[in-house]
Parts: sequence; C-alpha cells; structure tokens
Amino acid sequence: MTLSPDQNILFEIWGIAINATVFFTWVVMALLTLAAAFITRNLRPDVPPGRWRTTLEVIVLGIQSQIEEVSGRREDHLLYFAGTLFLFVAVSNLLLVVPGFEPPTASLSTTTALALSVLIAVPLFGITSRGLGGYLKTYLEPTFVMLPFNIISEASRGISLAIRLYGNIMSGAVIAAILLSIVPFFFPVVMDVLGLLTGLIQAYIFAILATVYISSATASSQPKKDTQ
Amino acid sequence: MSVDWITVAAQIVNFLVLVWLLKRFLYRPILDGIDAREQEITQRMQEAVHAREEAETREQEYQDQIESLNLKQADMTETIRKEAEKQRDVLLAEARERLERERASWSIHLDEEKRKYTSRLHRVGASAILALTGKALTDLADETLEERMVQSLARRIEPMASDLRRAAGQAAEAVVTSHAPLSQAGQDAMESKLQEVFPDLSVRFEANDEQSHGLILRIGGAQLAWTVETYLDGLDKMIDAQLSSREGSGAQSDEQ
Repeated sequence: MTLSPDQNILFEIWGIAINATVFFTWVVMALLTLAAAFITRNLRPDVPPGRWRTTLEVIVLGIQSQIEEVSGRREDHLLYFAGTLFLFVAVSNLLLVVPGFEPPTASLSTTTALALSVLIAVPLFGITSRGLGGYLKTYLEPTFVMLPFNIISEASRGISLAIRLYGNIMSGAVIAAILLSIVPFFFPVVMDVLGLLTGLIQAYIFAILATVYISSATASSQPKKDTQ
Repeated sequence: MSVDWITVAAQIVNFLVLVWLLKRFLYRPILDGIDAREQEITQRMQEAVHAREEAETREQEYQDQIESLNLKQADMTETIRKEAEKQRDVLLAEARERLERERASWSIHLDEEKRKYTSRLHRVGASAILALTGKALTDLADETLEERMVQSLARRIEPMASDLRRAAGQAAEAVVTSHAPLSQAGQDAMESKLQEVFPDLSVRFEANDEQSHGLILRIGGAQLAWTVETYLDGLDKMIDAQLSSREGSGAQSDEQ
C-alpha cells in the first residue's frame, strides 16, 4: 500500500512518467470541463434554463455569494480562482467512492501545488488591486518591526493549507483502506460516507480560506465599495 | 511521505489550466447567461410596463370613443324619433286623406248604386204598374190602359190650351208619340179632342219604343207628357226620401 499516488506510475508519454496524481487530475479536469461545456453549449437568454443549467447556476451563484460575503464585493477573478479550487477539491474528494479512483487531493504534491497557487495568488491579487508599492507596504504594517512576522505568517498560510487538505483526504483514504482489510464490508462504507462529508467540508474550508487570504490582501484598497 | 516537486509543478499548471477552462466553459457562460437573462427580464418588464401604459392609453381612448358614440347614439335616437314622429304624422295625414278619398269614392259609388237601384225600380215598377193597371182595367172595365191614358191626356189639354197655344206659335201640326202604336179608337179620340181645341192643326201619330209607356204631345215648341215616367217621378221622390232617412239612421249608428 502506498501512502501517496505520486509513487504510482501509470504510464509514460515521451519518456515522462505520468503518475496517478497527474492522471486523475486530468480525469477530474476533463470531467468538469466536459460537463460544463455540455450543459452550457446552447445558452440563450430567451430560453428558460433546464435542470442541469439551473444546477450549475446554483453552484456558481452559491460560490459567488460566499465570496461576496467574505470579501464584501463581487470579484469575478476571485470567483474563477476560488471557485475552481472548490470544484476541483470537491469533485476529487467525491470521486473517492468510485472504485479504482485515487483522489489527487490525497497527494501532498497536489495540496502543496494548490497551497502554492494560493500563496502566489495572494500577492498577485494584492498587487493587481493595490499596486506593487501598496501591497509591499502591507508587510510593514502596523510597523516595520512586523516585517518578518508578516512574512512568516504568509508562508505559514500556504503550509497550513497544504497540510490541512492533504492530511484530511489522505487520512480518510488510508483509514478506509485499513478498515477494508480488517472489517471488509460495513465499516469501509461508513468511512467512505464520512469521507464524502469531510471531503466537501475540506473543499469548502480550503476555498474559503483562500478567499479570505486573497480578499484580505485586496480589501483595504476598495473598502466596502461594492458591498452596497 | 514526500513532495514530488515535478508533480507539484505539473499540478500547478493543471490547476491554472483548469481555472482557464472553467472560466471559459463554466463561469463566463453561466454568468453571462444570468446577466443576459436579467437583462432580458428587465427588458421584458419594461416592455410590459410600456405595453400596460399603451393598453391604458388605448383603454382611455376607447372609453372616450364609447362615450362619444353613446352621445352620438343618443342624438341619432332623438333625431330618428323626431323623424319617425314626422313620418308618422305624414302617414296619418296620408291615411286620413286616403280615407276621405275612399269615403268620397264610396259616396259616389253609393249614389251610383242608388241611381241604378232607382232606375231598376223604375223599370220594374213601371212594368208592374202597367201590367197590373192594364190587367185591372181590362178585367174590370173592359178598357185598355192606353185608351184611359188618351182620355186622361185629353182632359188635361183643355185646361192648358192657352199655354199650349202660346207655346205652339205658328205650328201647323201636332205630333202624338207613344211607346206602342195607338189603337184606332185611341187615335180618333185624341184627334177629335185636339180638333176641338186646335181646329187648324193636323194630327200625326208616331210610335217610339225608346219612350216610356204613355203619350207625349208636341205642338211646335210646346210639349205635354203623360207617361209612366212622369208618374213615377213622385215615386222617385218618395224613394229618395226613404233612402236619405235610412242613410241618416245608418250614419248615426256608425258614429255610436
């Protein structure tokens, strides 16, 4: 039994080894993209939305409203980023119940990549919003003495995000595997159901934390301007 | 547990690609669709508001038109009523006039009928009188009506002799006409009577079947008639008086 799907090499393309993490990430990407493209292929304002389109609208508007509640304004770029984080993590975790599927989020590499993405996105959003000088100035607040602590704080955010997501998903998968070997039938099912719940909660927490971090980096430049 | 940094880099790329893909195929279509739908709904609501305002305007116009039409209708009704009254008066006048004409026509017709009746009564009465009188004279007195009429006429000549002589002027002939040829005895009696009054006159007898029964004496411009027709003149007057009294009582009963 391997603890990380990174070590599970499935095939090679032009000499590049494709492990389970990357492969199942592609599967999730393909699934999300194809489903979205199929449902939204014929959107017209004069045609009433169908049930699948309505479902997508509920999901997107739900994410948007959560972001608005956190950041206090509607920001489409933040929606693309945080929404994709949520959908990717949630779908990956929900596909845990599919036999043979190894969730990419159970890989520390994936969670590290996502955490790094958030870590990079925070200054990018901040610089985009405040400008480079304005963003760097936040590291000196309230005084320049706080500069090292602010840097440590920013780094610890990414690390904590990565470890939080990895630990929860990986532990759920490992516990399910152990219980499957000990008590073959009943407990694995219960753990899988629990894993679905915790997977969704982790996706929500991950996306919300990313939104909080990014919106905190951009908040002071547009104080409650769009919230009204 | 270790971090494969190549995988980390691949996952970062994968994540960024997924962000772009979902932006392209999920977020933008959905958000644009929602915005377009909101815009469509707003537009339709505005159109509905405009349509409602237009409908209210049209309703007001139609209400005004209906009120105008009602007023026109009332005017037309009044005009038609007056026209109908006028037409009724005209028709009543025409009816009265026609009734008067028919009444006059009926009166003429009645007079004509009366005249025909009188004429028929004349003929029937004359025939009956002649028949009865002739038969009575023949049966009871062994005489004919013509002879008695000759005698009667002869009696009337003498009282009127001066008038007849004055009217006759220079006439040299007296003409006696009858419906049927007089008997020889009648001619002789008549001729002898005339010779007594007018000794210079010659007497000629003629028969005229268009003349009523009796005798007519013509001397120049003078004429003395003793016929059934003159006799019946009195009967005519009596019948006229009778018919007039009947008409009067009939008219009174109609009025009642």
